[in-house]
Amino acid sequence: MQRGLNPFLTFLFATLIVMFTGGPVILSLIGSVVPDRILLDSSKALFSEGLNFETYRYVFTGQLPDSYLAETANRAMISDAARQVPQSLLNSGIIAFSSMVLNLLIGAPAAYVFARYVFPGKKLTFMFLILSPLVPAVALVTPVYIMLQTLGLVGTQAGIILVHTAKALPFTVLILSVFFRKMPAEIFEAAVLDHCSRFQTFWRIALPLALPSVGATGLFAFMLSYSEYMFSMVLSGDAATRPVSVVMAALARNTDVSWSLLNTAIFIAIVPTLVLVVFVWRFVVEGLLSGAVKG
Amino acid sequence: MKTRTLFAAGLLASGILAAQPGAAQDNITLEFVVWNYSLETIQDNVKQFEEENPGIKVKVTDYTWPDYQDSLVLRFRGDTPTDVIYGGQDWLPAWGAAGFIAPLDSVAPAGAVDELKKDIAGFALTDVTYKDQVYGLPYYADTISFIYNKKILADAGIAVPTTWEEVTAAAEKLKAGGMEHPIVYEYNQELPNFYDAFVAQAYGRGAELFDKDLNPLFADPENGSFKQLQWIADAYSKGLVQSETHESKIIPAMNTGAHAFTIVYTYVLAALNNTADQPRAGEFALAPMPGTTHSTLGFAKSYVVTAKAAADPARGEAAWKFVNFMAGKPYTVAKRWAVEKGLGFGQLPLFQDKDVIEAWGKWADVKALGDQAAIAKAGTYTEYSSVWSAYFRPLLAKAMVGEASVEQTMKDGADRWNQLKEQFANR
Amino acid sequence: MWTIKHFPALWLLPALLPVALMTLYPVAYAFWTSLHSVMLLFPGEPFVGLDNYKRVVSSNYFHDALRNSLVFTLIAAPLVVIIGTLIALFLQRRFFGSQVVRSIVLLPWVLPGAISAVLWIWVFHPSFGVLNGVLRDLHLIDGSIPWLTSPRLALFSVVVAHVWTQIPFAVVLLMAALSGINSETLEAAAIDCRSALKRFRYIVFPEIKAMIVVLIVYNALTAFTSYDLVYAMTGGGPGTATTLLSFQIWRESFSMYDFGSGSAVAFIVVAISAVLIVAITRALPSDLFGE
Repeated sequence: MQRGLNPFLTFLFATLIVMFTGGPVILSLIGSVVPDRILLDSSKALFSEGLNFETYRYVFTGQLPDSYLAETANRAMISDAARQVPQSLLNSGIIAFSSMVLNLLIGAPAAYVFARYVFPGKKLTFMFLILSPLVPAVALVTPVYIMLQTLGLVGTQAGIILVHTAKALPFTVLILSVFFRKMPAEIFEAAVLDHCSRFQTFWRIALPLALPSVGATGLFAFMLSYSEYMFSMVLSGDAATRPVSVVMAALARNTDVSWSLLNTAIFIAIVPTLVLVVFVWRFVVEGLLSGAVKG
Repeated sequence: MKTRTLFAAGLLASGILAAQPGAAQDNITLEFVVWNYSLETIQDNVKQFEEENPGIKVKVTDYTWPDYQDSLVLRFRGDTPTDVIYGGQDWLPAWGAAGFIAPLDSVAPAGAVDELKKDIAGFALTDVTYKDQVYGLPYYADTISFIYNKKILADAGIAVPTTWEEVTAAAEKLKAGGMEHPIVYEYNQELPNFYDAFVAQAYGRGAELFDKDLNPLFADPENGSFKQLQWIADAYSKGLVQSETHESKIIPAMNTGAHAFTIVYTYVLAALNNTADQPRAGEFALAPMPGTTHSTLGFAKSYVVTAKAAADPARGEAAWKFVNFMAGKPYTVAKRWAVEKGLGFGQLPLFQDKDVIEAWGKWADVKALGDQAAIAKAGTYTEYSSVWSAYFRPLLAKAMVGEASVEQTMKDGADRWNQLKEQFANR
Repeated sequence: MWTIKHFPALWLLPALLPVALMTLYPVAYAFWTSLHSVMLLFPGEPFVGLDNYKRVVSSNYFHDALRNSLVFTLIAAPLVVIIGTLIALFLQRRFFGSQVVRSIVLLPWVLPGAISAVLWIWVFHPSFGVLNGVLRDLHLIDGSIPWLTSPRLALFSVVVAHVWTQIPFAVVLLMAALSGINSETLEAAAIDCRSALKRFRYIVFPEIKAMIVVLIVYNALTAFTSYDLVYAMTGGGPGTATTLLSFQIWRESFSMYDFGSGSAVAFIVVAISAVLIVAITRALPSDLFGE
């Protein structure tokens, strides 16, 4: 697999991939440091006024960009919703991380027995898990909201975590069971000979071997929660619990947000998540490429 | 209604008796639900209210504007504690009929609402009234305006159009001169304002969409709204129009200088002309809505008290105090919105206010604005009109881009209206 | 595969219970609603049988919305998996800068839907869009191409944006699945001098087939029930060019205050999704759903 493409084709493909996946994000970086009055004016060069970080300053300190202090300026395009972004990143981090941990904690054992055992009720429960995500979330908003209202969980992060966990679980179990099933049977036979209990086999052998794949699945659960909007929107109460997807939707749809303020918010929202995701992903890829699972 | 008033009076009496000892220590927390336009300003207003009214706390919950109506319906259905809300003219009758919200008279001291009513602009008062009772006080009131780029018209030697035919002629001339799409149009069937903007244009032609008995008039080819839909479809087919899904995208689009006309909420003009961040700030102005009467649609968003809050006398009283602080005399909060954010207002005395005139002068001709507000008309809102509008908007959208005929669209719209009207009458 | 005599409750219930909590009652509630007239404006919730379903199916949006949703799904889901597989195969190799590219591939993932929409509006926008600007600078076009406002291009544009948001997940899972392939098998295959295409077809594909099926099913479901990105980009227009069936659930329920019809649309979506999933698993048999 290491041979095949020549360096030129490799470079070409790599460039295409980077442009397609990263291009729009680079746009937002540019948009965040170039004020609208230059960005929208095709007669002016993009960086003719240098880089402008005043919108960043506004998000973190609340100090208005200097241009807003001019006599003729009004505050119509500077939305304070942008100032919720840092807090909302923290909220989303808590929610998504909890959902990820819960998913792996209760999803991995279930995936393991589905992958390696035959037991009564297997088909029924597996089908239930697989079919449960069929009903569109939009149709379930009302009953889920009413249910969580009864449980007193509306306006809390616990409510959102519960919904996100349940939403990701069917897929977590499905994906992990694919990984567990791909493991060579000999490993498990050896474990049986060593009189390992079922839990010991899972905990000491299967899980460590599948760790990179578990990491990949965890990323999935994390990101599903991080980007979920509808339930986050109806279940979150105020800025103290609100996740970033809701704040960003507000910014994208409110009228009083200048283009550069919006892009500043986007970029601030991207960076910490990207660092986190890349960190986990590096661990996953290194694990995968070093052949941890190969038999 | 009578029994409820009696019941409320009884409750009030017993409430006063029960609350006599240590009423001041009894803290009430009002749940105030808003869409999150300038949340910091809202919270600052709330803080001032709390300082003036010890014993009442206000907890603000906010949703984004496009999700607001849906989230409120969900809150009502889920019985989530909610006391004071932002109301919209298009949902107010339905929410009143469903028993979600209460008339202000049920919580205000006698005569207080009538006194405030005198100052409210006609269209704004219509918008907060359902079955002859006032349900809300204006948070802001605005009109839909025809906005043009002064510089582009001057450079091309085009006079400001006063009729829709002149708009077409101007746009065609600009297109011939190399401007691809002279008109930007907010085209999004999901937004209630997609229908409102259409009504505003028809009002410019002097059209009425419904008669006094709520019979639809727009299916008549002679009706101004029928003609206006034809006009839009015609403008689209000539390639004069560029669609935008949201007003927030109209602002940058107009500021590229690639377009000359748009029809949008008047407060967007403040954003278009903002020197702080727009390259073409100062080039935009509003003209009277093209047509014969130049009327337009005026509307009001308001502070409304829920039926739940009104049913509890102490809570209802606190809710009234809060609403009165936000929208009552001396109109401090309404003035703040006008000065800081360029929002319009329903309280007419503010048009005389020096600070307002000065602040608005930065981005608009205040006189033109006042003149427009004076001839603006309210829309027709009934219990079922927002349901109907949700049905009608996709039809309008299709007709505009030539996927359906104007005649069929208007006929389908009228049929559906009549059907809903009858259904509602028989409920 | 070993046998357990009893249902392994300790292993399974922690996962089954939250899913059941979020599924059984809400789905039952939604189904009950679809058989009743539940309207905000009309008191009482009488049983109406299949009336809601009939009204929905005969309504004037249904035909267009169903067609758009199917086209959207049938293009988007396979495209995500195909591009995802290609990128995963490519990124499996080490080359100068491979680690950077592997990280950049994840970028679309960290953005909520509303934001992806903003970025793609900026790419496609007719007045200040980047794509038209680039094409103009390269002198490929004179005016501007109406990416979001011409009926045929609009659906294409939203598919591109949707695919963009879904690629990272596909790449991550496929790379994980690819790494599970026994390296000796691959080396043996390489020595056999099979072409790269054949090597993929006969050696690699069978090994990652189960994951590909999972991904196609997941993406078909996601595409068929997605709406936030599309609606933020086009509002369903122009006309009805990008109106999707899933959005009608929301419209019927919350814009038209008719929760019965909204739920009826939802169960029509369920039925079609089920057919799609059965079709996918039939077309690509794997041991995934067996045993």
